[in-house]
Amino acid sequence: MNPQKPEYLRPALIAGAVAGLLSGLPFIGAGNCICCLWIVGGAAVAAKLLAAGTPVLLKAGDGAVVGALTGIVAAVVDAIISIPLRSFNLGLAQRIIDKATELGGEMPAGLDQIFNGSSGMLSPGWFLLSLFVTAAVFTVMGVLGGIIGIALFGKKGLPPAPSARVAPPPPPPGPSDAA
Amino acid sequence: MAGDIHRIYPYNTPMRAAVDPKSVRTVWISTLGGTVVWLAAIFLAPWLAGRGSGSAARFVYAVFSPVCHQIPDRCFFLFGHPLAVCGRCLGIYAGFAAGLVLYPFVRGFARIALPAARLFVLLTLPLAFDAVAGILGLWRSPIGVRFATGLVWGTILPFYFVTGVADFFRLRKERAASRALEQAPQKKVE
Repeated sequence: MNPQKPEYLRPALIAGAVAGLLSGLPFIGAGNCICCLWIVGGAAVAAKLLAAGTPVLLKAGDGAVVGALTGIVAAVVDAIISIPLRSFNLGLAQRIIDKATELGGEMPAGLDQIFNGSSGMLSPGWFLLSLFVTAAVFTVMGVLGGIIGIALFGKKGLPPAPSARVAPPPPPPGPSDAA
Repeated sequence: MAGDIHRIYPYNTPMRAAVDPKSVRTVWISTLGGTVVWLAAIFLAPWLAGRGSGSAARFVYAVFSPVCHQIPDRCFFLFGHPLAVCGRCLGIYAGFAAGLVLYPFVRGFARIALPAARLFVLLTLPLAFDAVAGILGLWRSPIGVRFATGLVWGTILPFYFVTGVADFFRLRKERAASRALEQAPQKKVE
């Protein structure tokens, strides 16, 4: 028996695009600061879409695959969206950090150099490195979200196979069948 | 029995007779190694900053920036500098490490099974309440509470991650074996 392979790409593209969009937008993107909400949640949604569109019973491994793909798609979409929004996001982050330091906190080392040195400028090398790191992190978070999604939204079982049912006994011969 | 390999179990029951314990152990060890490296990097950032290695510290902080706000007010400090992640995230990763340590004793490597959904929801509730209450401005939890709620949630996550990744490798082997069977030349019995 050849186990049917689910179609992972479509749910991953849909959920990953939405998760990447949410991750890249100002303010809304901060949701990832709550346990990578958009990535884990997006991967769980991808698992739900996969379960809804697949006739076979899905396993945890299927959730891992669709979650990983979702994370990768989300990272790419996030990177693309972040390009035009980069200056705005940096300014917003700067205001958040300034507010935090007013309350007695301390800016992480080197962060002021990031804000001063990179506003509006983005080298291809740094962009690719950032994309690679983000994709790696989002992939791992996506794997986790996909597996959790299968556990929460996957089908819990299939109906019994027809061969498992006992065939009814043939009816006894009637009077007309007697020799 | 060979037939057991293709039996389908609901997800809240263990999947038996379909797992290679060595494979599960390999996934567990790899995950444990990755977690140790990840946790070490969280503490590496302030250590590098404390030594004056600004560029290296900057890079490490940047690695964690996609997944954490890194607001200093909500971070533990080491060597006078904030850790690379906030208290809640540190709790999650520490809980993940704790869950990994517990995994062999709770689940073992001979079978893989996902935790019950009820348990996941139960362990998520404290973190969810804390986060939502903070967002809505209902209360501002101390860093210890954030760490604790993250720790509780993080503890169950390895039971999903290790199970799912081990199951992925099992599925790959199963499908490769099925493809090999289909492609094997049909021998005519005469």
